Amino acid sequence: MIDPLSPSSSKDHTTFHTLTRERAFRHPPSDRSDVPALDQLVAPHIESFNALLEGGTEDGRGLLAIGIEEVGEKVVFDGKENDGMPWGGKITYRIDKIAIGRPMVPEKDKLSVERRIFPSEARERLTSYRSRLTATIRWRYTGPDGESAEHEEIKDCGMLPIMVRSNRCNLRDLPATELIKRGDESSSFGGYFIVNGNEKIIRYLIVPRRHHPLNIYRPSFAKRGVSYTPYGCQIRCVRPDQSACTNTIHYLSNGGATLRFAWRKVEYMIPLMLILKALVNASDKEVFEGLIQGEYDNTFLTDRVELLLRGQKNWGLYTGTQCLDYLGEKFRVVLNVPEDWSNIQVGGFLLQKVVLVHLPSPRDKFRMLIFMLRKLYSLVSGATCADNPDSPQHHEVLLPGFLYGMIIKERFDDCLLAVKALIQKDLRENKAKDFKNPRYFTSVLSKTNWDIGNKLSYFLATGNLVSPTGLDLQQTSGYTIVAEKLNFYRYLSHFRCIHRGAFFAELKTTTVRKLLPESWGFLCPVHTPDGSPCGLLNHLSHTCKIVTASLDSSQIPALLSAHGMTQVFASTVDGRRMVVVQLDGRIIGWASPAKSKQLANFLRRQKTEGDSRVPLDMEIGYVPVTKGGQYPGLYLFTSRSRMMRPVTYLENGKVDHVGSFEQVYMDIACTPPEIEKGVSTHVELDPTSMLSVIANLTPFSDFNQSPRNMYQCQMGKQSMGTPSTAISKRTDNKMYRLQSGQTPVVRPDLHNHYGFDSFPNGTNAIVAVISYTGYDMEDAMILNKSAHERGFGYGTIYKSEIFDLASAPGSARRSKPTLHFGLGKDVKPEAPWRSFLSEDGLPHLGVKVKYGDPLCGYIDEIKGWTRVHKYKGDEVAYIDEVRLLGSDVGDSELQKVHIKLRIPRAAVIGDKFSSRHGQKGVCSQKYPTEDMPFTESGMQPDVIINPHAFPSRMTIGMFVESLAGKAGALHGIAQDATPFRFSDTDRPVDYFGEQLRMAGYNYYGNEPMYSGITGQEFSADIYIGLVYYQRLRHMVNDKFQVRTTGPVDPLTRQPVKGRKRAGGIRFGEMERDALIAHGTSFLLQDRLMNCSDYSTAWVCRTCGSLITLGFDDVTGDKTGRREYCRICDNTLIEDKIGEDDKKKVGMLVKGLNERKGEMDVVAVPYVFRYLCAEMACMGIKLNLTVT
Amino acid sequence: MSESQQDTRWQSQNPNPMAPRPSTFKAPDVLNYLCADCGAENGIKSGENIRCKECGHRVLYKPRTYRIVQFEAR
Repeated sequence: MIDPLSPSSSKDHTTFHTLTRERAFRHPPSDRSDVPALDQLVAPHIESFNALLEGGTEDGRGLLAIGIEEVGEKVVFDGKENDGMPWGGKITYRIDKIAIGRPMVPEKDKLSVERRIFPSEARERLTSYRSRLTATIRWRYTGPDGESAEHEEIKDCGMLPIMVRSNRCNLRDLPATELIKRGDESSSFGGYFIVNGNEKIIRYLIVPRRHHPLNIYRPSFAKRGVSYTPYGCQIRCVRPDQSACTNTIHYLSNGGATLRFAWRKVEYMIPLMLILKALVNASDKEVFEGLIQGEYDNTFLTDRVELLLRGQKNWGLYTGTQCLDYLGEKFRVVLNVPEDWSNIQVGGFLLQKVVLVHLPSPRDKFRMLIFMLRKLYSLVSGATCADNPDSPQHHEVLLPGFLYGMIIKERFDDCLLAVKALIQKDLRENKAKDFKNPRYFTSVLSKTNWDIGNKLSYFLATGNLVSPTGLDLQQTSGYTIVAEKLNFYRYLSHFRCIHRGAFFAELKTTTVRKLLPESWGFLCPVHTPDGSPCGLLNHLSHTCKIVTASLDSSQIPALLSAHGMTQVFASTVDGRRMVVVQLDGRIIGWASPAKSKQLANFLRRQKTEGDSRVPLDMEIGYVPVTKGGQYPGLYLFTSRSRMMRPVTYLENGKVDHVGSFEQVYMDIACTPPEIEKGVSTHVELDPTSMLSVIANLTPFSDFNQSPRNMYQCQMGKQSMGTPSTAISKRTDNKMYRLQSGQTPVVRPDLHNHYGFDSFPNGTNAIVAVISYTGYDMEDAMILNKSAHERGFGYGTIYKSEIFDLASAPGSARRSKPTLHFGLGKDVKPEAPWRSFLSEDGLPHLGVKVKYGDPLCGYIDEIKGWTRVHKYKGDEVAYIDEVRLLGSDVGDSELQKVHIKLRIPRAAVIGDKFSSRHGQKGVCSQKYPTEDMPFTESGMQPDVIINPHAFPSRMTIGMFVESLAGKAGALHGIAQDATPFRFSDTDRPVDYFGEQLRMAGYNYYGNEPMYSGITGQEFSADIYIGLVYYQRLRHMVNDKFQVRTTGPVDPLTRQPVKGRKRAGGIRFGEMERDALIAHGTSFLLQDRLMNCSDYSTAWVCRTCGSLITLGFDDVTGDKTGRREYCRICDNTLIEDKIGEDDKKKVGMLVKGLNERKGEMDVVAVPYVFRYLCAEMACMGIKLNLTVT
Repeated sequence: MSESQQDTRWQSQNPNPMAPRPSTFKAPDVLNYLCADCGAENGIKSGENIRCKECGHRVLYKPRTYRIVQFEAR
């Protein structure tokens, strides 16, 4: 029998590593980062950014360098025709180089010893972490005499925000000790930008897989025009600089096909035949043979190809040059090309820029288009099915760095176009006299806005993409998120979240949100929020990697043809026997299905064995021939941005990386016992590798009902914990901190792996499952008052108060500051302000402030008085830190301070707690310790929860945790709570029960307990154990909303709404219905009238009007006022007096005669009086019947 | 009874008294701030530039007050 005190898996699991951890805290590693596993999790962020500047391609150039090469040369003519040049003198200009520095102190600053700027300074000073971006611009003037002179200028392009810990960050590759020295956490892993003191992340976005044509059936395609059908074949092509362009081939009911692309957000459709001919000057026969591929008896195919070819005849364009000329003529204006280009050149430019942009060679483009059309025909004929665009099989990830690079590239393109526009404007207005003078071009350069850094700052700060081309993306906003440091769980999951796209959030259909089996192992099935983003915002599994390096695939075609692949230029290929072999969207050959399977196996063997010709991260998607299934072929992918994950290859026992495309056709066993001989090729490294980091941290999650695990993923991210280990260096707006955090006794192995002990997130609590006193009804929980007094769940909120004199009232704009921090002579020595603020106008550290107390004081130089900025919070706070923030160069006096307030938040009744199993509850009572139930050994629970929380929710994992925690606490060991470690034959109850038994406790975790009130033993034994409890950030102190009287809306005199303004909670229609139904009319009257906008009004007994009150001051025996109706009274008078006397009306003494316009006082809601007045404005009279 | 006598008597009754404090707190004329980077004390007068005189860093912290701040002494 196995010794129950030493779990079978590993001895390591049983210790808390207290001494190791202690040592690591005191002496962080000086040669590496604290937790290397965390660096792995954010690697795609950082690596994609690094690729912008280095290692973008095999030759080591960065993506930005490739991007500006792609932007190319711009040309302007001065239009002065001469014999040599019909368009006149010419300036060609381009960007030669882009350089990005590291964040440094400006040159102007002579005093700083440390020239580098570190992220902590940007955070503290609430500025951006950025460095200088410069571009070298080269231009050449070519005059009429053919002379030319080249010039060069280095242009400052502003300050570009830099990703922390990237290759342009000063923290790059620094070990833990250095990080701490630079004011960062020992385990800080970067991957974010700092903009205005906020940490911003460009989040992963799902985009269609590049270089794989997708058969799409979409009814909306049919609405695109006459004879359009719902069938299409789409491919997303990516240029070497990672910018994309999507091409779609539409199938037309008249047998034709058009190619659709977008240029500067405008869509164009071109007949496919035109492009096929233009590309390679293809003859009809060539197109026919390519499409038919020997299937001459396939009449479906031949009919359509015939129609396609016949359709082309109507255009009267027979040769490739004619087609190019035609295309060039039509697209010349759209493409904005140099005027001296011929139509053929323009046509070629079009094909190069928009048609299958990943393939440089026209022949490859031609082959691929033919393949796509064949694939499309097979969809139309029903031979293959439409591909699912929502499936992760056809997805890849838009990486932050690549998106950033695309935006930079486009901004540079914009700048160049702006230069052209400015020169052309000057030419039109005849201002460009010295066109050929180099100084003219320089002046134009200085007149255009080159502040690209600012544009990128805007992008990061708002997440809005301002782009003339749209970058082939479906959304214009929502690209960035703030990395909230609420607790470490939340912070970490920001870096692992992956969004489907804002476009899909509005979609009525829920198909995109579905959890598909294709996502197995790549996206966590548990970790998605419930509610509106459910299924759209996913998280990567913790083993999922994203390829960011460019892989060398140059040897693959040769290797494959050496092993029997038919080469691509083979004269005849039999389409019925052969399937395609593609490498990154390029057709490299043909092979029979059997052969291609053989090739796939060969490649897999080679890549796992470490063959340098076959990179490990290559995806080998072998799609077998099926009836009505996916279009067959052997699709190889070595491109970036793909999701890959490690599994064990059974054939040689080595680690293989598997992608989301190939996985669909593979057999990967979850555990070694599940391996089927002859079927399974791979086995998972661990069954938990399909879960995200956060989902993995739910103990025994395999025993819970799955929604509960989803809830825990949400609640773990909302719990008060340890946001940072460098709290004194942080300036977050709001930070939650749990003072008494503990390491959980029951924790999965990954807890140690990812260093979660540095960031405790809750407390171990003794939990009794018992219905006691009734205060634990309906998910309420009873807290032991003594546990609370010992610090259970004690938390703190840190709030930042930023006060900038530059934006304070009375500040002088654009001149020397006239406001200064300090207390002036007008504040007397005994003034109460002095007890909060010192002479410098800043608060004493540690002082207690409440609503209305001063936080800082400043002297207005002009007016000569001292003003204070007051604390506006309702709660008592303590001044924790005061930061004096200097300017960038350090050449200005104090104008901006950051005051950190500490608000203590002990747990109170109404605060929310939860275990790690989606079992949340509200503290309903802090019960005195003497009244709590106790066990035979005298133990009292810290927390009491109700047994009714379990039957419907089925969180058995919590029971197991309770059991394991109890045993762990008794033996002083940590318990491994990794899911899928137990089975029906090896039950956790037995394992932990045995441990309990050995400690002298009940095997099943029940114990006899005694009532704390009567001292009698309960008739049932109580399940009591140890559960890790999280305190959630939702606290009553932030939520309670009560009022008796308070502010009212000036217009309606009804109570205002909103907690912030001390408003009330609306007593709405449904509540009103309830009161009516109960017949409680007095209560109804009280709520809706007396406690709301009760008012009294005069109403005329005769006409019933509310708005016709008139009154006189009456003197005499009855002193006072006399009210009358101005309508009824007037009519009376008018009846009485003649026309002549009408003028005297005002002088008539009223009230002498008996009159009709008698007024009465009635109680009406004030809004009703308002309604009457509004109605009267429109000429509508409201009458009350007064009885 | 003179003031000094009172003091001695109080001291004899409280053998380990707290250090005598000046009755009124006198704030220093120049306030010292701590550099966020090197930790050096910086006397910054009103209107002076915000930067460490030792290392040139641009963030300074206000040190904790010497006044007694004590709450909830329960």
